[in-house]
Amino acid sequence: MKIEDVVCPFCGCLCDDLVVQVEGNRVVNVENGCTLANEKFMGDHRLETPIRRSGKKWERISYDEAIAETAGILLDADRPLLYGWSGTYGEAQTIGVHLAEVLGAVIDNTSTVCHGPSIMAIQEVGHPGCTLGQIKNRADVVIYWAANPIEAHPRHMSRYTTFADGFFVKNAFRERKVIVVDVRETDSSQIADEFVKVNPGGDYAILSALRAIVRGKRDIIPPNVEGVSREQLFRVAEICMAAKFGAIFFGVGLTMASGKYKNIRNAIELTEELNRHTKFTISPMRGHWNVYGSNEVFTWITGYPYAVDFARGIAFYNPGETTSVDILRRGECDACLVVASDPGAHFPRACAEHLARIPTIQIDPHVNATTHLSQIQIPVAVTGIDAEGTAYRMDGVPLRTRKLFQGSHPDDLEVLEKIYAIVREAKG
Amino acid sequence: MRVILKTRPREKPRIPIEAEEIIPQNFLRKNDMKVFEGNKERTLEDLFFVTIEGPAVSPDQVEVVLTGNTGMIKRVGEYMNAGRIIIEGDIGMHCGNFMSAGEIIIRGNADAWLGREMRGGRILCEGNASHYCAAGYRGEKRGMRGGIMEVKGNAGDFTAEYLSGGDVIIHGNCGDLPGVEMRGGTLVIGGECARPCGNMTGGTCMVFGKAQRVLPTFRSNGSQDMDYAGKRYRMNLFRGDVANRGKGTLMIRA
Ligand code: SF4
Repeated sequence: MKIEDVVCPFCGCLCDDLVVQVEGNRVVNVENGCTLANEKFMGDHRLETPIRRSGKKWERISYDEAIAETAGILLDADRPLLYGWSGTYGEAQTIGVHLAEVLGAVIDNTSTVCHGPSIMAIQEVGHPGCTLGQIKNRADVVIYWAANPIEAHPRHMSRYTTFADGFFVKNAFRERKVIVVDVRETDSSQIADEFVKVNPGGDYAILSALRAIVRGKRDIIPPNVEGVSREQLFRVAEICMAAKFGAIFFGVGLTMASGKYKNIRNAIELTEELNRHTKFTISPMRGHWNVYGSNEVFTWITGYPYAVDFARGIAFYNPGETTSVDILRRGECDACLVVASDPGAHFPRACAEHLARIPTIQIDPHVNATTHLSQIQIPVAVTGIDAEGTAYRMDGVPLRTRKLFQGSHPDDLEVLEKIYAIVREAKG
Repeated sequence: MRVILKTRPREKPRIPIEAEEIIPQNFLRKNDMKVFEGNKERTLEDLFFVTIEGPAVSPDQVEVVLTGNTGMIKRVGEYMNAGRIIIEGDIGMHCGNFMSAGEIIIRGNADAWLGREMRGGRILCEGNASHYCAAGYRGEKRGMRGGIMEVKGNAGDFTAEYLSGGDVIIHGNCGDLPGVEMRGGTLVIGGECARPCGNMTGGTCMVFGKAQRVLPTFRSNGSQDMDYAGKRYRMNLFRGDVANRGKGTLMIRA
């Protein structure tokens, strides 16, 4: 069976034009997808049943047993942490937030290790952003700052920027100028009209210098700023000011470089400065396919986008204090539920060690690095393949992912609702 | 009155305690003080051996002494408006949040957000202070607004972020971006730091050690002599941050 207009549940582009061929409960072909999408749909090796660590071995247990034990561990904890959420859909994330509130837990999503600093900067100075459709149809200057879309978001350039013809940009490849700013050459920098090579950690200074140039204070700029010549900075500023519509996309190379959210704030303030001359927007290149959705869901329920601490019964948010990496590094939490993420692969070693010390439960379809740190793993359906639900694209547009076949696993929502029901009853 | 709070041994000593009720004025009238250990509410006596010596008729006659394993206790001295708190060892985050008067002395190190948005009074940290010392809460446009913050050791990144008033004196080194978004007050750094005063709009920052990676958007404005710790230093003056139409003063040892 061929299914059209399938949404890809891999990266924040959420491409919604895939054509997927299904035989029984297996995907056998994917059209329009990039190699990452093909691997996501077709290289799908699932854990069959829930497992529990027993000494040095794993034993198979029933879903009911795994769910009851998970609820018990979370109820016993004085500082439980519920982490992940970016690889599942909005309806399941909603139950996760309610579960955190009833438990008095900290709930955090993967923004904590990607674009959390972007959100902090937006909270300080706002967000002059727009949808990807606007950029595709209007932008004649596109800047990728500390992002490498060819590898991380392979269809971003072909669907929305360099190679995508738009309503007002009829011949994108010739009419759009692409600027890449990075600390090293990448596949993306090789197709740029202008490549700005910055010293590692030098982005903040470059952004400040560009702001000053756009404000007409050229005389203050020294001959070289963090490895970039004054002439190149002047040229980049001129390209930006001459644009009819410009768009900056930035990646984790900027959010996780020294200065973190201050880099993003500076980039937003440069965008504001450019808006005195022309129309300019700025957008984060969100990684996990529904990480934006987790920020949306957390915010509409708690008021905060990630790192929400319910220990006192009310929501408290303070990245650096209530973020999961910090909580784990300090050894604060005494139980952890990981949903739709793999902190074992992405977190610093000290955090992984703490996860291994405390009872950690993972809800995830696949065996991954976090499995080796966990006490229990509960396999679930993969959203966008055998479960459907709402996800948010990197520009905040909600899309409905599809269920391509009926699988044999329950989905995230079913498992979380059962855990929530037990916890709710115990709490009265 | 002298109140001595000695921590009791805990089964899970890494779980943070939130104890904003530990301020001098509360010991005059409260006898049911609550603290939180993780998500569990406890009484003060559950977590501390409490000894009270002598009388007091006003909060400024109350001295609270914390001893034992105090490094995971947060929010001590929050909204304090009189009296004195002495912490014999380390202290957790948010010590002296929003305090308006009185004195806090920390003999050990202080965790992050020491004196967050303090309005008055004095904090002396004899060890090191972590990140966001004398800064603001997330999204808040003004950090510390008044009072004196003195750290004898080093401070972390984003020290005095959004500083709007008062004096911050760090005798050791600061991390990255001290005085970022600063708009008033005085920041003195005795040691080294990196990228001081990004985006500042007002106030004065003096760096008596080496400043690394000074931002290109500060305009040179002459030099002058300054005294610090009993010595006279020649300081280069800068105005900025020009990127932000700033009119702050940055002084860096010549
Ligand atoms: S670019 Fe991203 S969303 Fe689009 S097909 Fe590739 S992995 Fe999927």
